Amino acid sequence: MKEVLDKTTFKENVMLEIKNLHVVVEDKEILKGVNLTIKNGEVHAIMGPNGAGKSTLSYAICGKDGYEVTKGSVFYNGKDLLDMDPHERAGEGLFLGFQYPVEIPGVSNMNFLRTALNSQRRYQGEDEVSAVDFLKLIRARAKELDMDPEMLKRSVNVGFSGGEKKRNEMVQMAVLAPSMAILDETDSGLDIDALRIVADGINRLRGPDRAALIITHYQRLLDYVVPDFVHVLANGRIVKSGTKDLALQLEAKGYAGLGIAENAA
Amino acid sequence: MPLKLYLDNPEIGTKFDAARAGLPGADKDWLSALRRGAMGKFIDRGLPGPKVEEWKYTNLGFLVEFLANENFSARQVTECQAEAKALFEAAYIDNIAGPTVVFVNGHFNGGLSTCPGGAGVKFAVFSENPDVFRQGLTGSEPVSPLNELNRAMARDGYHLDVDAGVTLAQPIQIIHVATSGTEQQSQRMRAQIRLGAGAKARLIESFIGASGVRYWSHLISDVDLAKGAELAHFQFQRQGKQAIHMTEQHSIVAEKAKFSHMSLQLGAEISRTELVNSFTGENAEVELRGAYLGRGRQAHDITTRINHDQPNCQSNQLFRGVLDEGGKSAFQGKVVVAQDAQKTNADQSNKNLLLSRKAEANIKPELLIYADDVKCTHGATVGELDSDQLFYLLSRGMDEITAKSLLVEAFLAEVFDEETDEILRQKFKEKTAGWLNTGGTS
Repeated sequence: MKEVLDKTTFKENVMLEIKNLHVVVEDKEILKGVNLTIKNGEVHAIMGPNGAGKSTLSYAICGKDGYEVTKGSVFYNGKDLLDMDPHERAGEGLFLGFQYPVEIPGVSNMNFLRTALNSQRRYQGEDEVSAVDFLKLIRARAKELDMDPEMLKRSVNVGFSGGEKKRNEMVQMAVLAPSMAILDETDSGLDIDALRIVADGINRLRGPDRAALIITHYQRLLDYVVPDFVHVLANGRIVKSGTKDLALQLEAKGYAGLGIAENAA
Repeated sequence: MPLKLYLDNPEIGTKFDAARAGLPGADKDWLSALRRGAMGKFIDRGLPGPKVEEWKYTNLGFLVEFLANENFSARQVTECQAEAKALFEAAYIDNIAGPTVVFVNGHFNGGLSTCPGGAGVKFAVFSENPDVFRQGLTGSEPVSPLNELNRAMARDGYHLDVDAGVTLAQPIQIIHVATSGTEQQSQRMRAQIRLGAGAKARLIESFIGASGVRYWSHLISDVDLAKGAELAHFQFQRQGKQAIHMTEQHSIVAEKAKFSHMSLQLGAEISRTELVNSFTGENAEVELRGAYLGRGRQAHDITTRINHDQPNCQSNQLFRGVLDEGGKSAFQGKVVVAQDAQKTNADQSNKNLLLSRKAEANIKPELLIYADDVKCTHGATVGELDSDQLFYLLSRGMDEITAKSLLVEAFLAEVFDEETDEILRQKFKEKTAGWLNTGGTS
């Protein structure tokens, strides 16, 4: 009976619920019991020292090979995410913004995004987007995010600068319009203009039916995307949670100042 | 001494002698003598064994049995007209308003064909006019044992002769169809393509066949390009899943002439594509490009040879292979640069993608360079799909098959991307695109 009740609660306001998540990578336990609940409309930020397991958390949620969940659960809109293949998780509305977007020579950005969008639409039982409609859509999104339309014809991320790659992630996110975005250090290595574009991309997708999990090493992105909650991940667990003030404290005092050891693992 | 596979069954000779009497042109003395002589040489030399370098990766042992059981009682083509027509239509490329020549089970089919013609173009088929082939068949150069067998037993084929200065506006489609009635049968064909000085032609050759039958399609082509001539030869190989497919092509390229080849191997259980190219003048060019995709019991063998006997010539070879569970391939690329062939420019590249641990790619580049002022390169790799690229695509919502297909297409793009004919380029891409989805050969 309890399970049924839980599911009802999910439908009402919880988008992502992670319970006691343990993840092993190459025989080493990286996440050691993560608990996190994200409700509709919320933006959460996860900060933490290097090696805390931030990227592992995002890969485990999205189902990357080699990230083995040994314990715990992840529910997304009431569905068991860990039961799904990576593409099904994307089809359910999950988007992962990569820390290091991958280069794919020989596949044009355009073809890549159209195939991705149509795959998701098929998964959701919708009709595929026609070539003409897709062209309109992608041109509009590229323009909003200030991307040169010529870059859409080029191979995915090949020869793109760091900032261009991150901008490309934001264009992809805008086209795919996920309900939950997980952004893994999308801000790393960006100058202030690129940072604004990334922030703009995230803010555009804020809304009562959407949520975001921003993983970042630095506080500065949070000046542009103000989170509802901030968590500190260290040694494979969330050790502190608070509001945006926590990020400011971290910025001022550092992890050690808050009693959190760097590279605690 | 290379090892031979002897055909020690005396009945084979008798059976082939009887079958020869029923071949087109059997009433012509020159042809009968040629066939008898060629058969004698073939029986004497046997099939090349595994110790023969050129056949290192394709063991012809299976042919001994095939020949012993070869069935010569070909059904009348009228009996399979509907099936032949359906296969022909599957291979035919629309939007190309050129002539079309169709062979069904190794027989020329006039009903489905619209032969090339017009000013400066001579075209003939072997079964109707063997005399046209005489000159090309009676050369004194020694040929391979399989070529001898083909010479002895070829039933049909085509001869194209384009006069100097003539450009064929439309490509010619040659379509070879094998129907489901071809179990244990052979389709032995000859082709002769000659372009006069400055002539230009494009040839699209498609092979398509029914699955579930073991037949042997064997085509030997001789290409002769005079000064400044240009031939572009495209091949789509979509034989049936149990088929044996072999082509052997000899190209002679004169001064300032250009021969280009682009092929796609999708079908057959055993395929062998042999391309032998020789320059007879300076500033000539040979370009060979191809892709082969194999899985299950499929084995593809690409064997090339470029004889750089003249200075200032250029050759480019670019082959890409994709092998899934059980699929095997071999690429043997030999480039011989003679002592006088200075300023030769020869590139060779072969890359293979293995989609399974149970796939196999063999590569044997062989560069023999006797000149001292040349630019010759070769590169060969065998790799797997990049797991980070794959996850990137999966994370965007593509299922595994779609994601892998996209990466395979990207891997093969290099082979086809430089083709300027939009229709052909798309055709090559389209045929490769569905490969992972279908699990078949189409």
